[in-house]
Amino acid sequence: MAVTTYSGAEQYNFEVVKKFAIMSIVWAVIGMFVGVYIASELAWPFLNFDSPYISFGRFRPVHTTSVIFGFGGSALFATSYYVVQRTCQTRLISDGLASFTFWGWMAAIALADFSYMLGYTQSREYAEMEWPIDILIEVVWVAYLTVFVGTIMRRKQPHIYVANWFYLAFILATALLHTFNNLAMPIDLFSMKSYSLFSGVQDAMTQWWYGHNAVGFFLTAAFLGMMYYFVPKQAGRPIYSYRLSIVHFWALGFMYMWVGAHHLHWTALPDWTSSLAAAFSILLLMPSWGGMINGIMTLSGAWDKLRTDPIMRFMIVALSFYGMSTFEGPMMSLKEVNALSHYTDWTVGHVHSGALGWVAMITFGSLYHMMPKLWDTKMYSRKLIEWHFWLATIGIVLYIVAMWISGITQGLMWRAFDEFGNLQYSFVESVAAMHPFYAMRAIGGMFFLTGMVMMAFNVFMTIRQGKRESAALEAKLAAKLAHA
Amino acid sequence: MSEQKLQSQTVQTTGHAWDGDLQEYNNPLPVWWVYTFYVTVVFALVYWTIYPSWPFGKGWIGGLSNITYVNSNGETKTHSWNTRALLLEDMNRAAIAQKPYFDKVAAMSYAQVAKDPDMNGFILSAGKALFSDNCAPCHQAGGQGVVGFFPNLTDDDWLYGGSFDKIHETITGGRHGYMPTFSEVLSPEQIDQLANYVASLSGIGHDATRAAAGNALFHSETAACYYCHGADAKGRKEIGSANLTDNIWLWANVPAASSAEGKVAAIRSVIASGLNKGVMPAWAGRLSPEQIKVLTVYVHELGGGQ
Repeated sequence: MAVTTYSGAEQYNFEVVKKFAIMSIVWAVIGMFVGVYIASELAWPFLNFDSPYISFGRFRPVHTTSVIFGFGGSALFATSYYVVQRTCQTRLISDGLASFTFWGWMAAIALADFSYMLGYTQSREYAEMEWPIDILIEVVWVAYLTVFVGTIMRRKQPHIYVANWFYLAFILATALLHTFNNLAMPIDLFSMKSYSLFSGVQDAMTQWWYGHNAVGFFLTAAFLGMMYYFVPKQAGRPIYSYRLSIVHFWALGFMYMWVGAHHLHWTALPDWTSSLAAAFSILLLMPSWGGMINGIMTLSGAWDKLRTDPIMRFMIVALSFYGMSTFEGPMMSLKEVNALSHYTDWTVGHVHSGALGWVAMITFGSLYHMMPKLWDTKMYSRKLIEWHFWLATIGIVLYIVAMWISGITQGLMWRAFDEFGNLQYSFVESVAAMHPFYAMRAIGGMFFLTGMVMMAFNVFMTIRQGKRESAALEAKLAAKLAHA
Repeated sequence: MSEQKLQSQTVQTTGHAWDGDLQEYNNPLPVWWVYTFYVTVVFALVYWTIYPSWPFGKGWIGGLSNITYVNSNGETKTHSWNTRALLLEDMNRAAIAQKPYFDKVAAMSYAQVAKDPDMNGFILSAGKALFSDNCAPCHQAGGQGVVGFFPNLTDDDWLYGGSFDKIHETITGGRHGYMPTFSEVLSPEQIDQLANYVASLSGIGHDATRAAAGNALFHSETAACYYCHGADAKGRKEIGSANLTDNIWLWANVPAASSAEGKVAAIRSVIASGLNKGVMPAWAGRLSPEQIKVLTVYVHELGGGQ
């Protein structure tokens, strides 16, 4: 029972956790830098420098892949390996397989990024990787599932902790989504080009079944798993309600699978399919909020920690943004709201309130909790964590506000008719109207990136400090042994 | 602290502990959460009743909400809610507002349309929408064009003529500007002389001796520039050849060059390599005759109409 009093470095495989945690930060810096760059390209187009490799179209999937799968994915690997070992009180079943998931995952992200810049893409949002990379991901993912399930089966605890249900749901659903969305026929064994097995509206439907569930299981369920371990740990309080965690877990898993079609309102998709999805999106609201309530209520009674503990602040802001964006999402999925919001920057803002506000913030909080434990030390600078928190929060607010204004402006401009029945604005006028907001968004991104760079520095110094401390400890021990 | 104590007295944990201190209370589901969920269930049921939502056999169950619209044959139809009917209804509403004006445009002459104050607003509104969607990608939103690529439509310099009829002809049938490559028939020296002469016509800094030689070449059978540009070098509108005397430039990017040498060099490069890129597509068939008429008046009124 006294596991928490020492790092457990011998009992558990923390090597792979450390590697993933470090790479999560490396990918965050790369991915967010590219994000700021493409946001700046939209505001100041000369930044394209007429180079195809860094043009918006190729750089955008580099950004999304690096932040979602590089930063988010690595953080999930790191925390899930950490959490499953500590809550099952057992070592990962195979160090070799775990190490394979690390190198395989890194190779997949790096290859994907390079291939996008060279112009290879499946043109499926968040699944742009061409078929050879898809196969690599498939293999890595099966290894991940094996390690995770194998470790749970070897647990020394009779019950499976709630965080592990969420992680497992994420791994299973992602395997399913990745497999079916990427069914494609390469044009040649030695060609990167392939064609999807689906065509037309079925193709679009498969893509958004994937796309929305990537949000649901990769960016929501998995990070709820993170939340369920690190929030009670950091707060030092029990989870608010076991019952709520069960009910919202199953409700979330059941509802999410239905809602992908709300991305295809007002398209060639049959109307019944998209309105079915719209209503399920409304039904999804409370199951989503279950996680937020459980997280926030876990804190109740320890509110004083918000004043003193910057890590706790990351977590509570993450939960608040989670609540906000899971409210905004169902609203946007109603047909009439969607008629205004779709294809506008509002969608982009919505995604980022989830991605920056929820996913990144809960990850920052969890990593700040976990990193010092991995290296058996304290965070190098508390002040830098405080700075990171404020820069990130201000950055998100700037970003979202800019996208709300520009999105709603676009939506209104695009469908404004004058008294003669003619469109009041041309498309290019709406583009020109976006400029100040694109600049504001880029600046918001710069705030967020600056905070991220501070975190990278802070973590680097923490690891150095941890290594120095353990070296000093070992020297002391050796000296004592020599005397004896 | 006291609150925590109170809670731990009334609510029990599940009795499990993980990783040392991880525990779970067994609080009941928050009542407001449960009831809000029921509200969303009611909402979903109502939504499904209003809109078509569930597949049934080979079709689907239509919602209670209906849309009445006029189809392409002019028949009024009522159908259960669907996006296609909604689009038709929307487009129809716009078409109804536009129709009386388009009818008037069709019946009036260009000059009448241009002078009629009632029509002014409509031409500006419809013309701008048509121009923005179809012409602005090349000629730019204000019609100012791009030197080196697309003609400026706001000045009074017209390659093919700026009357209503000529503008109409240009939009309807498109244009294809062409000038042969001279680097194969003339020496670099001769091309330079011609360039200096052309520069002199617009009062641009030039070498007078070279310009004089260029003048002779221009009107000779060797270069034969005067065939197309005319003996006075003012161009011939019937074939769209440029007026070389007004210091207005489309192909040679003279305005961008800061030095006199640079300006002459810009002219030289056009003479040397000729032109075959001045293609404007034909809009007949893509736009209705009334739309082309509106565009004609709109372009005419951009500033340079003759």
